[in-house]
Order: sequence, then structure tokens, then C-alpha cells
Amino acid sequence: MRRIGNLKALVLILLIVIFATACASKNEAGNDTVAPAAPAETATFNPDEADGVDFKQMREQNGVVPKPSGSIKLGSVSKAFENEYWRTLKEGMELGAKTMKESGIDVSVDVRSAQGEGDEQGQLSVVKDMINKKYSALLLSPISDGNLTPGVEDAKKAGIPVINVNDGLIATAPNFVGPKAIENGELAAEWIADKINNQGEVAIVIGMPKAFAARQRTAGFENWMKENAPDVKIVEKQNADWDRSKARDLAETWIKKHPDLKAIFANNDTMALGIVEAVKASGKQILVVGVDGIGEAYESIKKGEMSATIDSFPKYKGQISVEVALRILGGQQLPRVIWTPQALIDSTNVNTPAEEIIGWENAKFE
Amino acid sequence: MNLLNRLTKGMGREIGLLVALFLMIAIFALIDPIYLSPGNLLDIVDQSTINGLLAIGITFVIITGGIDLSIGSIMAIVIVSVGWFLTKQGMNPILAIILGILIGAVIGLFNGLLVTKFKLQPFIATLATMSAFRGVAYIITNGWPVLNIPQNYRDMMDGDLVGNFPISIPILLAFAIISHIILKKTRTGTFVFSIGGNEEATRLSGINVDFTKMVTYALCGVGAALAGMVMLARLGTGEPAAGQGYELYAIAAAAIGGTSLAGGKGSILGTLLGALILSALKTGLVVIGVDSFWQYIAMGTIIAVAAYFEIIQSKFSGFGKRLSGKR
Repeated sequence: MRRIGNLKALVLILLIVIFATACASKNEAGNDTVAPAAPAETATFNPDEADGVDFKQMREQNGVVPKPSGSIKLGSVSKAFENEYWRTLKEGMELGAKTMKESGIDVSVDVRSAQGEGDEQGQLSVVKDMINKKYSALLLSPISDGNLTPGVEDAKKAGIPVINVNDGLIATAPNFVGPKAIENGELAAEWIADKINNQGEVAIVIGMPKAFAARQRTAGFENWMKENAPDVKIVEKQNADWDRSKARDLAETWIKKHPDLKAIFANNDTMALGIVEAVKASGKQILVVGVDGIGEAYESIKKGEMSATIDSFPKYKGQISVEVALRILGGQQLPRVIWTPQALIDSTNVNTPAEEIIGWENAKFE
Repeated sequence: MNLLNRLTKGMGREIGLLVALFLMIAIFALIDPIYLSPGNLLDIVDQSTINGLLAIGITFVIITGGIDLSIGSIMAIVIVSVGWFLTKQGMNPILAIILGILIGAVIGLFNGLLVTKFKLQPFIATLATMSAFRGVAYIITNGWPVLNIPQNYRDMMDGDLVGNFPISIPILLAFAIISHIILKKTRTGTFVFSIGGNEEATRLSGINVDFTKMVTYALCGVGAALAGMVMLARLGTGEPAAGQGYELYAIAAAAIGGTSLAGGKGSILGTLLGALILSALKTGLVVIGVDSFWQYIAMGTIIAVAAYFEIIQSKFSGFGKRLSGKR
């Protein structure tokens, strides 16, 4: 008899818990609320809204790159090479230094990373090591918005210029080089709205919004839809921790719940590729758009599975950041923010070389 | 009544879980009837397979009083190596699956070796291997994913058996049944429980404790390998970063299922139900549209509540026994 009593209590508590969460969340998860694009208290610095120019304007305004005197050794600290994105950015920086070296300028770059995206302290110690070894300038992509702040202060004391690359953000770094993150989501929204004739149901799979760029992607998407395509309804928005399998599971459930779902926007390509598997299994025609432009996404677009990705061209971003470092070392005054190129890649331009899409030219020297 | 009593003897926990599961389903169905659609119910089971396989494996280890934090990383090693066998070596899928299981078992044995021969505490040993194995997975592919997993392999591990019924569910059930038999019907199973109950006494009674523990870690590795191979088939791509944090959900499923982290107690059926409850909860929260931040709280609450009832239940059953004893 007592056991039955326990069961009842167990069940009762389960009930309460579920209802409590359900009720509490209904208010929070209302679909018509728009995600704030970086709340005020954390937005001491928002590169999307700061005083900035894109890299072509920067080249026009500042002319050729000053030729450095002596040899330049740049240090770069990335988030984690487990991620293809950061590996490609590294390649871009190395390529940038290599092309300059070939044209007779003595530049080298040492790109290192933390041990995974949870290693905030380890990343700081790499930065401190580079300061101790007196690198000429530092290109930093901090894991969180604050973990490299002590390193930046030390670098300032040692007179080493610091350039913040991509994300997270260093509010105290004088220059930021990276894409306009909010535009990421806007490009995706614009493309989807166009394909579904500005009406229908869409969903968003978000990554853990720890990083600025991730928050901005979702906000850009939602705000664009709200302003430009009010008949597009964002019916679902959930987090999948950047995990392919979790994103797939989410999409699987949504497709059953919303039989008329037209499109899903994922905060990165890895999650988008998981969603593609769920869409394929359902046999439905649902557009899937990701962000990052990783190789696998290109392959998938070529196969006609994934619909589109927003590529922010880390290979060229890397080269631009090296160029920016040389300009700063050469004494040029640059704007606070230099926006790097990004573009939407779909079946129409998936085979076009990136140089052509962004109109790339190598940096010119004195 | 007598028969029913005999059938359900010692299964109070499992029955409780079953009732909780059905009630949870009923509640979600009331909020949104779509939850009860056959497709969604199938998804609940389908989405519990990966966690279920991991959780069954870890149940063995937990019953001995150990823990294995490295299962997510074992998964990743198996994913990238089987992916490599299939794509770069063009290996026969059946052979690749067998090799995958073997790799899981060998890696598990390595964990067992650290725990038994090197006397490391299981938490520390597998915390270390969690990091090291992850590194191995990255090194195998140099950080890149293994693409284009052949369709015949994908059909074998996650294809549709009948209609939309995926083959991964029978794989989970087969592993569960074998595990149940090992745990409940073999001497090894008895030793597993007795090690968890009192390791020293078990050792003194002449049982090879080290060997038994190694077996549990190997079985845990096999569970992780199977989970990894199902995931590889499901996603069609093998990522070295796969499975991060999955150990926690596996432990949660075992704990909800009544496996005591102090050792000596647990059952495969309970773990299976635990995995189903987590999956039903997760799917339900998605279906009724609960904000993801709140989902973390809901998951945590369910784990804590389930564990709390484990305590109450054992207290009361002891109390009841004492009462009936007096009579």
C-alpha cells in the first residue's frame, strides 16, 4: 500500500514540475517577441553598430600598406582548432603572411589556440606567453567576451598593438576585424523570405548563445523578418548546443508538429547538416540555411540537399587581419571596426570562386 | 493477484517509472495532441536509442560503484574510425561494425585497467581518458569530419525496418536484453552487484574483482561503440567532436532508472525506462514549445526528483519490511 502512495506522490510532483515549466515558459517563449540584439548592460561594444568601414573602403581610405622596417612577427590566438572555421582562419593568416613574404616583406605569423572552447585560462596564458616573447602585434579571438582582458592590458603596457579578430569581443582593443554578425542572419532571412514568397512558417535552431556572433545571427534573422516579411511566422526557436545530432532531433519533432514548415535557419552549418538529415528522412521540401560556409556545407549544397549557407570567408578574413596589423604597425589610423566580406552561397554561386564573389585582391604595398 | 505480485516483485521502481512515463505522455498529449501522433511517439523511442545504448553500458559500471565519464569520447573514436574504415578503406559494413564493437571493448578495457591495476579512482581515471580519447579522435581525422558514409552502412544501423520504424530500436533492445541476461542470469552479473555492495567482502570471498570490473568497463565501451555507430548512420557524417557531454545524460538515465551511484543497485529495464523518460520529456518540451533555457531547468528537476524518490522508496520499503516482520 505504501508503495502506491509513493507512486502517487512521484506522479504528482512530475505533474507540478511539468506544468510549472510549461506555464513559466509560455510567457518567455512567445514567438512574437524579438530577441534583443545584445542587451544594453553587456553591449559596451557592439561592432555591428560601431563606427566602421568595410575592408575595401579601408583600402581606399588608407592607400597602400606601409612597408615595415625590419622583420615583423605577428602572434594570433584562436578559439579552438577542433573547429574547421578556426583552422581556415589560421590558414588565411598564414597565407596572408606567405604572400607578403613572397613579395619581399619580412612577415611571419604564429597562430595558436586554446585547448578547446572551454579553455578560457589556457587561452590567456598563450597570450601572455606571446607578450613575454615580444611579438610585434597580437590578433586575438577570445573564447568569451572577457577572458583575454588581462592579456590586453599587459600588451598595452608592453606597447604591443592588439587587434580583435572575428569574435568574441574585446571591448578594450582599439580595433576589430570581422564580419557584421547581424548581417549574417539578415542575409539568411532575406533569402528565405524570397524563396517562400514572403509567407509561411519557419523555424530557427540556435547555438548556445554564449558568443556575440551567435546572438546576433538569430537577432538579425528575427528582426529582418519582422520588418520586411511580417507574414513569415517564426513558429519555433530552440537551442541545440551546436550539436548535429541534437539539431536533427529538434527538426524531426518540428517537422511532425508543423506539417507546413517551409524553412529552418540554423546558427551554424554543422547543425544545418543535421537538420538536412531529418528533412531528407521526412521526404518533405524544407529549405535549410546555415552559417559559416564550411566545406561540408558546400558539398551538401552542390548535392542539392542543404539550401544555402552564409560564408564569411575566414580564409580572406585571415589575410585581411594580417594586412590590418601591418597598417597599424606602419602607423596608419584605422577606424574602430573593419568589416570583412560575407555572402550567401546557394546553388547559383556554389561553384563560383570566392575571389570572384567578394572581389578579392591581394594587399598592395608601398 | 498472487501471480501479479510475483511478477512485479522487486520491480516497484520500474513500475513507478512506467506510470510516470505514461503520465508524462498523457500530460504532454493534453497540452498538444500532436504529441500522441504515432510519428512523434516513434520519435521519442528513436531519439532515446543513442542515450539508451550509452546508459545501458554505463549501468554496469555504476552498479560496481564506478563511473565512466569517457563514453562520449569513446563514441567519437568509434565514429571516426568506423567512418574511416567505410570511406577510406571501402570496408564491408558488417566487418566495420564488428571492428567498431571491438574498438569500443578494447578502449573500455583500457579504462578498466586504469581502475583496477593502476588503482585510479574511476572518476579520475575516466576524466583523464575523456580528454585523452577526445584527442585521439581529433588526431585520427586531423579535426576534419569523415564525410559521405555509404548508404548500405547507414541502412544497416539506422535504416527503416518496416515503414518508418528504424532498425536502431531493435539494436537497442537486443543490447538491452543481452545486458539484462548478463546482469541477472550469469555469475558475472551476481559478482557485479556484490562488488557494488561490498567490494572488500567480494574480494575476500575469492571472486576475481578486477576481472569483473574490467568486463563492466568493456561492456560500457561496447555500449558507447554501438551508440556511436548508430549516430554515424543517422547523420551520415562522422565528427570527432561528436558526443560531447553525452555521458551526463547517460548517467542521468541510469540514475532515474534507479541505479545507485553508490553501487550495488540498478537494472537494465530501469535504465531503459530512464532513457525513455528523458527522451519523452525532451520531445515533449519541444512539442509544447518550451523555451530552451527552461528545458535545462526541467531536465535537472526531473533528475533530482527521480533520485529523491529513490531514497524515499528504499526508506519506506525497509520500514514496511520491519513492520511486516514484527507481525
